[in-house]
Amino acid sequence: MKATIERATLLKSLGHVQSVVERRNTIPILSNVLIEATPEGTLRLMATDLDLQIVEAVPAAVDQPGATTVSAHTLFDIARKLPEGSQVQLSAAEGKMQVVAGRARFNLQTLPKDDFPMIAEGELPTRFELPAETLKQLIDKTRFAISTEETRYYLNGIFFHVQDEGSPVLKAAATDGHRLARVTIARPDGAEGMPDIIIPRKCVGELRKLLDEVDGSVDITLSSTKIRFGLGTAILTSKLIDGTFPDYNRVIPTANDKLLKIDPKSFMEGVDRVATIASEKTRAVKMALDRDKITLSVTSPENGTAAEEVPGDYAAPGFEIGFNARYLLDILGQIDGDTVEVHLADAAAPTLIRENDKAPALYVLMPMRV
Amino acid sequence: MERPDQPEDGEESAEGGRKIIHIDMDAFYASVEQRDDPALKGRPVAVGGTRERGVVAAASYEARKYGVRSAMASALARRLCPDLIFVRPRFDVYREVSRQIHLIFADYTDLVEPLSLDEAYLDVTNNHQGIATATEVARQIRARIRAETGLTASAGVSYNKFIAKLASDHNKPDGLCVVRPDQGLAFIARQPVGRFHGVGPVTAARMEKLGIHTGADLRRCSREFLGQQFGKSGDYFYLAARAIDHRAVRPDRVRKSIGSENTFFHDLYSHDDLAAALLESSETVARHAERTGKAGRTVSIKLRYSDFRTLTRARTLPAPIADAARIQEVALALLAPLEPVALGVRLLGVTLSSLGEGDDEMVVTAEQLALAFE
Repeated sequence: MKATIERATLLKSLGHVQSVVERRNTIPILSNVLIEATPEGTLRLMATDLDLQIVEAVPAAVDQPGATTVSAHTLFDIARKLPEGSQVQLSAAEGKMQVVAGRARFNLQTLPKDDFPMIAEGELPTRFELPAETLKQLIDKTRFAISTEETRYYLNGIFFHVQDEGSPVLKAAATDGHRLARVTIARPDGAEGMPDIIIPRKCVGELRKLLDEVDGSVDITLSSTKIRFGLGTAILTSKLIDGTFPDYNRVIPTANDKLLKIDPKSFMEGVDRVATIASEKTRAVKMALDRDKITLSVTSPENGTAAEEVPGDYAAPGFEIGFNARYLLDILGQIDGDTVEVHLADAAAPTLIRENDKAPALYVLMPMRV
Repeated sequence: MERPDQPEDGEESAEGGRKIIHIDMDAFYASVEQRDDPALKGRPVAVGGTRERGVVAAASYEARKYGVRSAMASALARRLCPDLIFVRPRFDVYREVSRQIHLIFADYTDLVEPLSLDEAYLDVTNNHQGIATATEVARQIRARIRAETGLTASAGVSYNKFIAKLASDHNKPDGLCVVRPDQGLAFIARQPVGRFHGVGPVTAARMEKLGIHTGADLRRCSREFLGQQFGKSGDYFYLAARAIDHRAVRPDRVRKSIGSENTFFHDLYSHDDLAAALLESSETVARHAERTGKAGRTVSIKLRYSDFRTLTRARTLPAPIADAARIQEVALALLAPLEPVALGVRLLGVTLSSLGEGDDEMVVTAEQLALAFE
């Protein structure tokens, strides 16, 4: 194998693929990136953690087609430190890969390309397209609610499913058992009959990074076990979480009769300010609703107390309710408009938060008992 | 069956000196519900979940006549007593009543060791009021509990914790039982071993097989014999049968963990049996957690194979949990790598630790509620 590529192009691609590679690996070849120079004048870079795989193809001057694997993080670090604007020559022979750029020369250990594992995609019967912007919205408005608790592996991702409720829709939902985030969009053509899927957190993270560099649409193909995202020069393939997402509709309250309308920005800033002194463990903030006066307060045995009044629009009987400040901030940070509706029932019942009833996103937050 | 007799009574057992009361509220949760809702008075009441997998947390005496017991599956309870009225537990009310009772205790002694919301040991040897007999203290406390809470309590009065607890159970409900130092041995001798703290159904059945039915039978067994038969517990049984229990009433005792384990009549092999056993233990743990208002971040399982090899596995979670379904979920995840089991499993248990306490107090006072998916 022998090919020459621009340093900037190489660095950008390696930046994408190396983040799929786990820092610690028990299987040595999983630390490596597979580099393949094709006769068509492209360099294909590929990395995997066995659950998630990325392939990126970039233009290069190929003198001699071939392939090898080298440490992804090492090659990335080298590319990072090479002089800007340089041409990088990669050539592999006899268990080594030589990297030459300007006056710098590296001889890197390789592992045989035939040992490099690939995810067998199998049949991917469902195929549709989503504008990159839409996919970004689906991810940004739900991913913060993904559970990190491994025991509940079926919550460690975003749940995608299609439904027919008057008009056909595609919904994305995530929950960690304390809060739920859901976004509904019109079902894209081709998604009809799509199986329910849970996209793992790591795939969501990598996908989101790649989306920043995609303008048009993303080509999505999937089966009940695998999903593949075509993102211009990169293809991201992931196994799906083999589990059942809970029936989340039952936790979405429909009869909360106390409505608070409030400016999300001042609400968010108020919560953030009083939470400064909240205990690190609980982050509990109390909210007292009394007519149009909303009082946020925190009492911390270690630090003292804090209170702030935020104007709001509230006509129901007054009461008090507690929330985890972190959770409130996560949700409020996703509200784009200048009012947010907070539908409350009582201090122990799920609270519904949304911009309005037309908004695609909806959030359910369980209170804290304070 | 070899059972070397080695009577060694007398000298050690006359442990006098201390005055211990064990107070136990009668059918606590159920009685509170009957007190607060006159429609429930005189009716069979079960406090607990009505859901498919729910269990009875407490049963009124009317319900107990039908065989309904706490920790029993709600479905079974309903079959035993079709008229059974299920009531949702109101733990904040129970905690408030518990606080009232503890204020009464505080008038007599600072040496109060709570076992749960409705049960406590009191050392009244030197009581605040200078009352000469523990019997009189117990009488006053019971009268005040009745007057101030409208509920009844049973009390056992004796010279150590072991006998006091046995005694409070003796004349339940609304009873008072006094076991004086000179009566201790005879009292224990008469008791069926199944009532002893630490003797579960499996141990009771094994004792039964060995011809040990009562405290008297147990007392005839040598320390060595009990050690061989029951391992570490053997020593405890040996001393219990002799009415020896030097454990102090410890008001500062902070519970570090809540655990429940079961030894099985037949070794378990299948996943379904193991999962069911974990669920049962998880439910017991959750009940205790709920009762004491605690939640824990660490779940561990203990597993003993038929060859007595014992393993433990633990996982610490980012946030404290207290409900049975979540505890079982973690327990199952801990069990999964050990399956399929190579040997039969004779004992399986679940423990919840890293409980909210001390500077973790906030975990308890500010509790994050969970979405109810199930």
